[in-house]
Amino acid sequence: MALFTRLRAVERLDIDYDEDDYLRAGQQYATAIAVGRWEDFTQLNYRPEHPPLAKIVYGFALASLPPAPEIPARPTTAQPAPRLPQPHLTVARSVAAAFGTLQVALLSFLNPLAGLILAIHTREIKYTTEVMLEALPSLLSLIVIMAYQKAGNKWNAWLMLSAIALGLMAASKYLYGVVGLAIVIWHVRLEWRNRDWRAFWPLVAWGLLALIIFYLTDPYLWPDPVNRLRESVFYHTGYAQSTGVVSAGLPVWQPFVWLFGAAQERNAVFVVAFDFFIALFALRGLQRLRQRHPLYALWFALAFGFLLVWPTKWPQYILILTVPFTLAAAEGMRATFDSIYAQWSTYDWRKVSAQWNWKELKTALPWLAPGMVVLVALALYPLVYQGAMALTDFNSLAIRDGLNGGVWREVGLGLTGQVAGDTPAIDDLFSQRPTTVHYRGFGLLWSIFSWAIPEFLVFNILWMILAVSLQTGLGLGVALLLNRPGVRGKVFWRTLYVLPWAIPEFVGALIWFNIFEPSKGWLSLALGREIPWGDNPHLALGVLLVAATWLGWPLLMLAATAGLQQIPPEVYEAAELDGATAWEQFRAVTWPMLWPLLAPALIIRAIFTFNQFYLFYMLRPPWPLLTLTNLSFITFNTNERGGGLFALSATLNLFIVVVLAIVVSVSDRWGQTSEGVTYA
Amino acid sequence: MRKPTLAQQVLSQLTLLAVGLFVCLPIWGLIYMAFDGSFKGWPNEFRLWPKELTFSVIQQVWEKPAQSLSFIGLLRNSLLVSGGAAVLCVLCGLSMAYAFAQFRFPGRALGLWVLLLGAMLPPIALMTPLYLLLTALQLRTTQLGLVLVYASFAMPFCVWNMRAAFQAVPNELEEAALLEGAGHFTVFWRVTLPLAAPAIAVAALVAFLTGYTEFAFGWLFVSKGDQVTLAMAVSGMLTSLGLANAWSNVAALALLMSVPVVGLCLVLQRYLLKAYLVAD
Repeated sequence: MALFTRLRAVERLDIDYDEDDYLRAGQQYATAIAVGRWEDFTQLNYRPEHPPLAKIVYGFALASLPPAPEIPARPTTAQPAPRLPQPHLTVARSVAAAFGTLQVALLSFLNPLAGLILAIHTREIKYTTEVMLEALPSLLSLIVIMAYQKAGNKWNAWLMLSAIALGLMAASKYLYGVVGLAIVIWHVRLEWRNRDWRAFWPLVAWGLLALIIFYLTDPYLWPDPVNRLRESVFYHTGYAQSTGVVSAGLPVWQPFVWLFGAAQERNAVFVVAFDFFIALFALRGLQRLRQRHPLYALWFALAFGFLLVWPTKWPQYILILTVPFTLAAAEGMRATFDSIYAQWSTYDWRKVSAQWNWKELKTALPWLAPGMVVLVALALYPLVYQGAMALTDFNSLAIRDGLNGGVWREVGLGLTGQVAGDTPAIDDLFSQRPTTVHYRGFGLLWSIFSWAIPEFLVFNILWMILAVSLQTGLGLGVALLLNRPGVRGKVFWRTLYVLPWAIPEFVGALIWFNIFEPSKGWLSLALGREIPWGDNPHLALGVLLVAATWLGWPLLMLAATAGLQQIPPEVYEAAELDGATAWEQFRAVTWPMLWPLLAPALIIRAIFTFNQFYLFYMLRPPWPLLTLTNLSFITFNTNERGGGLFALSATLNLFIVVVLAIVVSVSDRWGQTSEGVTYA
Repeated sequence: MRKPTLAQQVLSQLTLLAVGLFVCLPIWGLIYMAFDGSFKGWPNEFRLWPKELTFSVIQQVWEKPAQSLSFIGLLRNSLLVSGGAAVLCVLCGLSMAYAFAQFRFPGRALGLWVLLLGAMLPPIALMTPLYLLLTALQLRTTQLGLVLVYASFAMPFCVWNMRAAFQAVPNELEEAALLEGAGHFTVFWRVTLPLAAPAIAVAALVAFLTGYTEFAFGWLFVSKGDQVTLAMAVSGMLTSLGLANAWSNVAALALLMSVPVVGLCLVLQRYLLKAYLVAD
């Protein structure tokens, strides 16, 4: 399977950034091999930031081919090369694909499901197929960790294998060294507890052997190890500040986007693109990964932390963690299936149907009727119609056709197979605007999903978590302070603090717009200069968070205050007699008693923040710092030139409804938002 | 717990003061402009206090805030549209809420789930089809259309809250009336409704506020100048002229429209809080 997905990619992938660079490097080594000038190995160093082993491997693969004119050197910022010599490109790609396939096979020994997931992960396919430096070291990193575990903290052949792989890996790409770091931390922590100092010797030997192998397989280092190593490693410091990286302007949270979104390629390179669901499963499986494969969990944590901190955020870097990531996804998948099976097998259908009381329904029906009519007309019918629209390319130019039943006509024809829907590319959806409605099929749903969801949904959820955390922090902190006995002016402060809650949200947004307007806002006038916060995603997020905290924290303060007042003071007196510190009191008394009362407010705030609209509408942060509701409004807004894409907006709305349905169901199961919603 | 020492008291008060500034300063930034007649467009210098303290800006937006309407005219539109939506929600949702509170019919759980989901949906979630539906019915640019739209925003929330209000009425009262031979309607009309009336008023108020503070969707529907609501007028001033706008007018109008809402919220704080938390 992995072989199939990768061979397909070898043929179909467009040439990407950097492929010309590494193919050129491979060619240089190939020439040296062909004429037997082995001493050149110590001098060749095209693209000095990465050590040469992977490039040398390409060189050996290319050596037997007829020589082609050397690819010209181009700066790293240049566009991908339009064409590269054949069959060299295919051969080099096949080599990479072979390593990628081996990696999948190896992972399948550990966990077959994880192997399967790795085989279909689109970014994994992409970067272990292109002429990049990823395939070899990511295979080696898996060998390092598997061999280390097999060795069981003893000096034996397995540990030697692990060390050799580590050395080779370091000579291919430094970044992957994070797995070595994970092993060191793991080992030290384990043996520290045992107080067994001799147990460190295998680790030291392991490190030394890896170092030797690294030196031996990095011929460029041979003449002048120290300086050349330093030069290579410190290249990154300069590179991270280069215009290419800075102008890409990728925010700290970009790795999330890479993990949640499939790679976008033409030519149907990937048969399936389930990356989003893989990421969801991985999220669910992290807990189980920690229990079952703690070393891999440590690897994942370190690599992910590194990706967040590292200033350069190219998508191929996520390959340093795809192995533990897919392992987590496999665990998450297992956990999901287990829980579904457990629920299904214990569900008592007879009991449920026995509770169905038809007589009661007869009594209730006349009472329900008026509300039902309105809700069906104003909510249910629109929802169904929206679902139909999402299958078409309906836009504002086709409104005449649409109003005359064009949507139903096309969807009817499409679902009965009389019209074939060809899925347009997202860009075409924006640029081509047909004047009649056309059926576009379910493929459209999927392509909008893979366009909009990773970038916007990831930001939307990140936004929700950050904003609600800040609001809760401030709200709870102030509530605790105000709850202390003897603090003066409680009523005054509390009344004052409620103000942002009482002010309508859009006026609140206006208030903050007045402050943060880049050239004439209160803040820029006070500082005496413009504040172009829209140019920097981190600054923009900060500005939005300040405003959102201001808007949202009073509700949480009020909820926390109401909760705190229900905790009897005797509990604290008892805790004090036992000598509990303030923090212990909070952990053991306040928080557990407060949580059930705070949870509903938290959920409401979270959903509200997820849907936040007016704040973004007023402050106009840069794309893609938008919530899904704003994205939907922008693509819908018939008063603006870019808007009027009814079908696109309808599809986004469907996604919003689905996400909220999941949130409501989950919070429902906590049983705190509402009584009686889970069947009584 | 012991009484705080003087140092602790001072520290607490300073912290509270800092939070208070965080809360109030931004609001003051808008308020002071509403009373400053010294600049035409945006202010050019940083001030904490109006340069020319005046009521003329307030007076101006009171008399002629938009092209064709006075403040009162705008307010009338707002009250008409949001009030209409609130009345529609209560009238059509009342009996449904009672059914959910009183009867245990099959499908009740699902219905409640749908209501809760509906209450959590953002206004945009059903906007696209509603826009087309109302266009097809030739209601889109009328005030009745806007009433329907705002009612659709608020209806699930309203029903959910009214159900909670009915459930809060002690069951013994209703059962006693039923035993006396009264029908469900009599019980509802004579016993449950009067007891739940204050909470229902709060639910209606929430529905009203949804429409009163909404403008983005309003602009998609209303096209005639004399149908514009207050909130729409504020946003219209902002978007039509941009930075060339008389910023103190925007501030004054926003202030005028917020003051009654803020007052109401502060007075009814406890009840509104309960409603907003979708509490039972």
